[in-house]
Amino acid sequence: MSVASDQPDALMEIVDLHVGIDGTSILKGIDLRILPGEVHAIMGRNGSGKTTAANVIMGHPDYEVEQGDVLLDGESLLDEDPWERARQGVFLSFQYPQAVPGLQVGNFLRKSVASIRGEESAKGAAFRNELNEAMDQLNIPRSFLSRYVNDGFSGGEKKRFEILQMMLLKPKLAILDETDSGLDIDGIKTVAAGVNTAVRGTESGALIITHYSRILEHVKPDMVHVLIGGKIVTSGGPELATQLEENGYDWVEKVSAAEEVA
Amino acid sequence: MQSAAEYLSLSEPDRSNHLWRYTPWRRVHPTGDISEVPEMKSAEVSITKLDGSPVSEGVVLEKVKSSIGDFPESDPVTLSFLGAVTTASGWNIKVDSGFNTDMPLLLDIDTGQGTSAVHLSLDIGSLSELELITRVRGSGKWFGLLRTGEIGAGSVMNDIVVGHMQRGTMLRVDSVNIGRDAQVRAGTVSSGTERTKADLRYLMGEIGGNVRVLGSILGAGSMHLDHHIEIHHDAPETFSRLSWHSACGGDSKTVGTGMLKVMDGSKGADAAQIFHNLLLSDDAEADSIPELEVLEHEVVGCGHGTANGPLDDDQLFYLQARGLDPSEARSVLIAAFLNSTLSEMGSEALHDWLIILLSTELERLGSSVGN
Repeated sequence: MSVASDQPDALMEIVDLHVGIDGTSILKGIDLRILPGEVHAIMGRNGSGKTTAANVIMGHPDYEVEQGDVLLDGESLLDEDPWERARQGVFLSFQYPQAVPGLQVGNFLRKSVASIRGEESAKGAAFRNELNEAMDQLNIPRSFLSRYVNDGFSGGEKKRFEILQMMLLKPKLAILDETDSGLDIDGIKTVAAGVNTAVRGTESGALIITHYSRILEHVKPDMVHVLIGGKIVTSGGPELATQLEENGYDWVEKVSAAEEVA
Repeated sequence: MQSAAEYLSLSEPDRSNHLWRYTPWRRVHPTGDISEVPEMKSAEVSITKLDGSPVSEGVVLEKVKSSIGDFPESDPVTLSFLGAVTTASGWNIKVDSGFNTDMPLLLDIDTGQGTSAVHLSLDIGSLSELELITRVRGSGKWFGLLRTGEIGAGSVMNDIVVGHMQRGTMLRVDSVNIGRDAQVRAGTVSSGTERTKADLRYLMGEIGGNVRVLGSILGAGSMHLDHHIEIHHDAPETFSRLSWHSACGGDSKTVGTGMLKVMDGSKGADAAQIFHNLLLSDDAEADSIPELEVLEHEVVGCGHGTANGPLDDDQLFYLQARGLDPSEARSVLIAAFLNSTLSEMGSEALHDWLIILLSTELERLGSSVGN
C-alpha cells in the first residue's frame, strides 16, 4: 500500500496508527514521515507511548494494531514477522537488550549479519575488517567477542553493543529506543558518531527516541516530535528539543492546548 | 563370578530410594528380567589425541581383568551387575604422575550393534594435567559403562563423558575418588539414547579436593534421560559445584536427582547444586530433585536450587529482530542454554569440539526437539 501524494517518497511512513495492549489503547493516532537520509526524534515523558511505537514498528507480537499502517519504502510492514522486517532493513536498538547466556557475541554477530546481509557478508577477512573497524570506532575491546550476549554487561556496554549491531547490519531504518540512557557524555558522543556514520549521506534513516536533548546535540535531528498521551502534540526542528529541555513538557501541553482552542 | 553372585543375592531396589524414584531397575536392565545376568560382548575401545594422532608417552590404555574394588558409596545393584557383565571387558587407563598435555585425549568406545559393556578404571597419577573425553557411540541395543578409579593428589583433570549412542539404553555408573588438592571438572553430555540411567558419584575423602560437575543434556522424541549425581565431602576444605542443564522437547523426559553429602569433620566445605530445565514442548517433562545431607556445622556454604521454564519470549523476539527466523532463533537459544555448561567443561579446543558435536546433534534431531 502506498499513500499517493506529491510529497517525496518516504523511507518510513506511519499513518494514523492506533495501538493497544491487553485492551488498553496506547497510541491514539500517530502520523510520521521519515525521508531517506533524515534523522527524526521522538521525545516524551515516561508512559507516553514512545517504546510502544518502537516495538510496533519492529513487530512485537504483544501489541495490537487497531488502526492505521506502518510502511517501509511504500510497502506495509504490518503483515510481516519481526525477522522479515529485520531482513527488509528495520533495526531496533532496544531500551533493555536481552541477555542470552551461552551465546557468544562473535557467533551471534555472524549469524545476524548472515541472516540480514547474506552468508557471504559474514565470512572471511572483509567481515573481520569491518567488525574490527566498527569495534574500534565504538571503543569496544576484542575480548568482547567471546563474552555472552548482554550477559553481565554494564548499561553502557549494552548500548554500545546495540550500536555495533546497527553498524554491521546496515539497516534502512534504525530505531534507537533510549539508547542514550545510562551513557556518560563520552558514550553519548560515541553512539551519536555511530548514528551519523550509519545515516548521514546515505539513503538510510533513523528514529531516535529519547527523554533528553543531549544526544540530539550530537546528531542534529531533522525533525523533533513530542509524544504525549499517545499522540504527537507538536513537531518542529532541532530547536524544539532545546525548548523542551528548558521549559519541560508542561509547556508543550499548554502551547498545544492553546493552539487547539485558537 | 563374585559380582554375579552378589547381584543375584540382592533384592530389587525400592522406588522410594532417591536413585530409583523415576526409572526402576527393571526398565534399565538389558532384558527386563532382573534375575538374569546376560553374557555380553566387550565394546571396542581406543584412545588418541583429539586431533587423531597417537597419545604421547605417559598414558597407557590396556585391557585388564576387571575387578570391582571397594566402593562403599555406590549402589550395590548396579555396581555388582556391571561388575558381573564386565569381567571380560575391563580396561585400565593409566596416566603417569606429572603427565601434562595441552591436547585433549579422546577415549572412544564403539558399542557395536548388540548388547555390550565396559569397565573403565581410571588411574590418574598425582600432579598430572589432562583433559579426557570418553565418547560412547554406536547403535547398540544396550550398553553398560562402569567407570571407577582415582584422580591423584594435586591433579588438574577435565573428565568429560559424551553419551552419543544413536538408540538403545545406556546404564552408566561412575564412582570416582578425588585426591588431595585435585581439581576436577566432571562433564556429562548426553543425547541420542532412547533411555539413559546414570549414577555418578564423586568422593572427596582428602583435604582440598575440588570438583565441578556439569551436565548438558538434550532430550528429544521419546527419550528418557535420568541422571543421579552424588557428591560426597568427607574431608576439610573441599569444594563442589553441580550445574546441570537439561533441554527437553517432543515427549521426552529428563530427570536430575542430586545428593550432596557433607560428612562430619568436613570443616570449611563449600558446596552447591543447581538444576536448570528448559521445556521445549507441552508434552516434555523435566524432574529435578536436589537433596542435601549436611552433618558438619562449620561449612562455608551448602545450597541447592532448581529452575524450570520454556524458551523466553523476549529472547526469541530479540533474536528475530536481528533477522533470525523462528526456527533458527529456537535452535540458537537451545544451543546457548546447553552451552552455558559446555563452555565450563574445559579448554577452548575441548569446547570447540563439543560445540560441533552439539550443533550436529541438534541438526540430526531436528523437529523431534520441538513441539
